[in-house]
Amino acid sequence: MSTPLLSIEGLRVGFRAADGGVIEAVRGVDLSIAPGEAVGIVGESGSGKSLSMLAVMRLLGAPARPTGGRILFDGEDLLAAGEARMRALRGRDIAMVFQDPQSSLNPALTIGRQICDVVRAHRKVSANEARIIAAEALARVGIREAGKRLDSYPHEFSGGMRQRALIAMAIACRPRLLIADEPTTALDVTVQAQIVDLIAELRRDLGLAVIFISHNLQLVSEIVDRVVVMYGGKVVEDGPVEAIELSPRHPYTKLLKACVPSLGGPVGPLVAIEGTPPRLGRMPEGCPFSPRCPRAIEPCADEMPQLIREAERRIACWRPQ
Amino acid sequence: MLRLVAGRIVSSIGTLFFVGLALFALTRSGPGSPARIVLGADANAEQIAQFEQAHGLDQPFLAQYATWLRDVLRGDFGKSFVTGRDVATEIVNALPVTLSIVLFAFAIALVFGIGIGILAALRPGGAFDRLSRFASVLGLSIPAFWLGIVLIRFVAVDLRWLPPGGYQPLSAGLWPHLSTILMPSVSLAVYYVAVLARMTQASLQETLRGDYVRTARAMGLSSGQVVFYALVNALPPVVNLAALSFGYMFGWALIIEQVFNVPGLSRALLNAISQRDFLLLQGIVFLFTTIFVFANLGADLINRLLDPRQRAAA
Amino acid sequence: MRRLGQVLRGIDWSGWLGAGIVALILLAAIFAPLIAPYDPVALSVEDRLSAPDAAHWLGTDQAGRDVLSRIIFGARASLAVGIGAVLIGALLGVSAGLFAAYKGGLGEQVVMRIVDGIASIPLLVWAIAIVGILGVGPLPIGPFVLPNEVKIVVLVGCLFSPVFARVIYGVAKRIVGADYVKARHLQGASHRDILLGDILPNCLSPIIVQGTLLVAIGIVIEASISFVGLGVQPPQPSWGTMLSDARNAIYSGEWWLPVFPGLAISLTVIGFNLLGDAVRELFDPRSEARTLVA
Repeated sequence: MSTPLLSIEGLRVGFRAADGGVIEAVRGVDLSIAPGEAVGIVGESGSGKSLSMLAVMRLLGAPARPTGGRILFDGEDLLAAGEARMRALRGRDIAMVFQDPQSSLNPALTIGRQICDVVRAHRKVSANEARIIAAEALARVGIREAGKRLDSYPHEFSGGMRQRALIAMAIACRPRLLIADEPTTALDVTVQAQIVDLIAELRRDLGLAVIFISHNLQLVSEIVDRVVVMYGGKVVEDGPVEAIELSPRHPYTKLLKACVPSLGGPVGPLVAIEGTPPRLGRMPEGCPFSPRCPRAIEPCADEMPQLIREAERRIACWRPQ
Repeated sequence: MLRLVAGRIVSSIGTLFFVGLALFALTRSGPGSPARIVLGADANAEQIAQFEQAHGLDQPFLAQYATWLRDVLRGDFGKSFVTGRDVATEIVNALPVTLSIVLFAFAIALVFGIGIGILAALRPGGAFDRLSRFASVLGLSIPAFWLGIVLIRFVAVDLRWLPPGGYQPLSAGLWPHLSTILMPSVSLAVYYVAVLARMTQASLQETLRGDYVRTARAMGLSSGQVVFYALVNALPPVVNLAALSFGYMFGWALIIEQVFNVPGLSRALLNAISQRDFLLLQGIVFLFTTIFVFANLGADLINRLLDPRQRAAA
Repeated sequence: MRRLGQVLRGIDWSGWLGAGIVALILLAAIFAPLIAPYDPVALSVEDRLSAPDAAHWLGTDQAGRDVLSRIIFGARASLAVGIGAVLIGALLGVSAGLFAAYKGGLGEQVVMRIVDGIASIPLLVWAIAIVGILGVGPLPIGPFVLPNEVKIVVLVGCLFSPVFARVIYGVAKRIVGADYVKARHLQGASHRDILLGDILPNCLSPIIVQGTLLVAIGIVIEASISFVGLGVQPPQPSWGTMLSDARNAIYSGEWWLPVFPGLAISLTVIGFNLLGDAVRELFDPRSEARTLVA
């Protein structure tokens, strides 16, 4: 394995609680991604997947902050980097697109203006050159008559087109890593597939590394090389997509897979995972999934299993399948 | 778009028509008819009838209003029954004084109000935020005319930096002009600085939490640009409030002019009241109301220009 | 009772400060004859223009009247106009807003256009002009003789009413269209039940917030109108007329004459503003966008 592009080591993210204590929502995450690799991070809301990635961008909002660990991007610790350095990296080396394209674009400015601003924040180019680069980016994400659409406002775009425009902003400066945080959740099903295809295509053409955050294992599996499953602020399983698809070993992964009906496959009963994810600050001592786990045994609730490497996979479970 | 703008303009003019009618009715509801006021108590019925005929006061009420309004639109505010002087001329003589105080105060309010509001919004809970919240409560609570009195005492009487009152037109030179309008304008502006700072802060804090601001930061835009992204969306309520402020400032300027003994419209208005000179009073109040209505119309149009969704709606 | 306790705990120190100031001024106004050390209108030639001392804590004016006593009695005019105007404005505005939202159709259009019309009137200019037209003397209406203050209260109240009408109209319009109100109609609830039981309680917090903040504006308006001689008439004390009388003292050096009445106005207005802000934080923290201006 080559040197990783991004390597997260023991990352912790906490919220300052009203009583002065700290409630941890990300509790020691280890994760690495190679240049050009596509990784899916899967988990329910509250699993800590988005918070971890916001920590990578150093965009955590006020009460949340990293409380431990390192985030190495190309060998540089982002948690120790200054704000000016982060500003230079964001949009140029690492870019992130978010869940809701409706509200993620500035309603008062043209699409072109917003892309050009990103280009000019990172490259010393004239206004005209920036416009050409912006038009190229817009064309690359599959928007027709890109040159003309630069002068459109977000409200003149459909939801799918807005997400494309956001992706165009993200790739305009040719970053090495694109983090997509549930980029399709707010979109229609047919549009979802188009956006997933677009990201796969961009990755292939531009050599982008991609982190695709989703709660939908099925969707992620279509384009990623590797799947990381998170639960309760921890990584519980990590492995090549085929292996996870064929033989999930963590009971949570298995249930997650059963939650989504597979297209074209045999129509089996749809399974819902019983119970709710643990509340922040009320984490069990041991495995966070143990209260809901159908296979839970004696030590599960009391002691957290280590994330153990087995061949190409990593898994944290006392009783894997 | 054009139709919407035209609609708003028509409705503003309609409002002015009815508000003007109310004003016209009110000025005629005071004790004593104009003829009695001008001719005195011992005028006989014939003299009064003659006076009313000469000034069109024997016409039906609505006809009088229509005539007055038609003349006003031509810039003719009529001739005072009391002094015989041309009302428009009196207004034109006094208006520049009031206008320069209000415009200067408005500029101060915009620059400092919006500036302080932005700085306070950038660090919620920070020292500047708390300081500006405290200062804005003070600014909202200190009456402008009292502030004027205090300023005269300290700046003019004790320090002798500025004259305590009076007025020099711009034609007398920039500094002489500024030295007479500086204190009145500052007194007038303080309340509006506080009002606009509070609104800017509240509105900007809201938009800074927007998803598009997070996008801008995730793309590595500079902090100045990030603030600009939030600000373009925070402006509409500030623009509305600024327009209201501009309209209201003329009213408080009347009081301030009294404090600083400035020969602006307040002197004309108070003279009109004490001499029961209804045409002059009507003219001044109608002028202020027109400014108020059109300032708000202007804010509406600016906001339509700022918002691409409304601009596009044809 | 437990709810009340929670509400009280939600008020921060500035809110309590505001409430304290307002309570103090209210008490001073109500019990003015008991508290004031001197008769506010009693002339005393030998005591003219005495600086603050043990006998006259805040000094005396050109006519030898005790400044402290005049300030205490002056609170009556200020609060009467401020609170009175808000009560009248609220009554008119709430009725108009409820009527328009509930009635709909032509009535709604007419009432709301009138509200818009009143809202497009620059308050202070009109207040000064109308008092000027009517004259500052007592106004006889039928068997009643209205003193000038009552004219001002009614006038400013009318000009305040659009604020309330618009708040109520917005809330009421939403509620009238809501399914549960339709359901209540079907269940046979009367108009009165729905107005008093469903709509009014939902409007209460914005009414209280706007009302408290408008009292502050009303107080400054009273002082301003009195300052130009169109409000409270001498020899009755009012903070505005006291400041007007004190204008010569700016030059001659009797600092207490302009300082204390001005402080009284500012303190009272600060009290109502702090109280209003605290109440808003409590009921409706996101409504700062509806800032009032006059």
